[in-house]
Amino acid sequence: MSTQRITVAVDAMGGDKAPGEIVRGALDSVSELGVDVLLVGQEDVIAPLLPDGGHVPGVALEHAGEVVAMDEDPAAAARRKKDSSLVRCAQAVREGRAQAMVGAGNTGATMAAALLRMGRVRGISRPAIAVPIPVPAGTRHQLLIDGGSTVDCTPEWLAQFARMGREYARTRLAVDEPTVGLLSNGEEPGKGDELRKRAFSLLEKVPGFNGNVEGRDLMHGTVDVVVTDGFTGNVVLKTLEGALRAAVELVFGVLDSTPEAKEAGKVVAPLLLDAAAVFDPDLTGGAVLLGVDGVCVISHGSSSARAIVNAVRVAQECVESGVVVRLKESIDAG
Amino acid sequence: MPAETHVAQGPIGPDEVYRILRERLAEILEIDEDRIKLESSFTQDLDADSLALIELVEALEEELGERTVGFSIDDEDLGDLRTVQEAVDYVVARLGS
Repeated sequence: MSTQRITVAVDAMGGDKAPGEIVRGALDSVSELGVDVLLVGQEDVIAPLLPDGGHVPGVALEHAGEVVAMDEDPAAAARRKKDSSLVRCAQAVREGRAQAMVGAGNTGATMAAALLRMGRVRGISRPAIAVPIPVPAGTRHQLLIDGGSTVDCTPEWLAQFARMGREYARTRLAVDEPTVGLLSNGEEPGKGDELRKRAFSLLEKVPGFNGNVEGRDLMHGTVDVVVTDGFTGNVVLKTLEGALRAAVELVFGVLDSTPEAKEAGKVVAPLLLDAAAVFDPDLTGGAVLLGVDGVCVISHGSSSARAIVNAVRVAQECVESGVVVRLKESIDAG
Repeated sequence: MPAETHVAQGPIGPDEVYRILRERLAEILEIDEDRIKLESSFTQDLDADSLALIELVEALEEELGERTVGFSIDDEDLGDLRTVQEAVDYVVARLGS
């Protein structure tokens, strides 16, 4: 059994709450998960955030002079800003100084940096983000792929996403034979735009394909893996987020509407809050970028320290379970 | 002032650049090399998007940079390279400069 500790490169400058929450999450990861962390970012900004003058066991600091902003062109930023914390994280994985990277910054640039520095898995044209979706009434999450990595897709790429999502579901969802659905505007095979219709015939060759699914099948566990293009996937995720927030506001508005409701709320509200924790993005643990030749976990832009710990946890699980190797073998086997 | 250059493994002519470019582009686009001709348009004939072209540029810089120190492709010139022929000519010119 290997006793070598895993090193995770963390982009300390990426995210709305960077660098404070990111650094705190990275430090917590070392103590909670037993991993080593390579904190990458502007040294003069990060060093003061570290305890004991920066001499923390399990934590190394790598200076990166540049920062990729949230609104920068992804491909251009990944190519031009080679001294950015984001690109340096990907480079650290490529050079073997880290076994995985975690970033909460510009999603497109993270994808581009990982793609350019780590390279692609042979047989995969474009990477895709596999996002775990909670299923409140189910026993396991669903995976939505792609959550926003590749906006303009070909039918062939959707078929590749399906194969990657299925293989990753074996690890992340612990399902032997994951089922796959193509997100469309109707269940019948003929439904959808040209992309969906052409992808459908390719997906029929993917094991576990159950046909089309609709938006209402999300969070209901109809299938394990929901395949879509990155544009639709990202819109879906934001829609779910907004709808859930509206539903919570509605329920708590009702519980605050009359004296009787307020009394009931004293009992019900804590239970509802506990149940709603399943939707907390900070607990999800980040989404894995599949299709690049290394482990890259993308956490949401407003990640807290807790979110970073959970993203590092996912990165650790991916390394330990050999997700990339398994993905390569699966794609090679067709 | 141009970067220092030297030829490590003999001169790299247009045929060699074309061979390397085809090989790398085929890998990136996951297509058969036979589909890539000198007259092929990156976007219209090969469906290469901007990210694929940047992958190609990085791959060429890495491979040719090992043989010609300081070789690089200027990002500002990328938009002007619409066909494989234009890219080959551009790379050959950069190698010779």
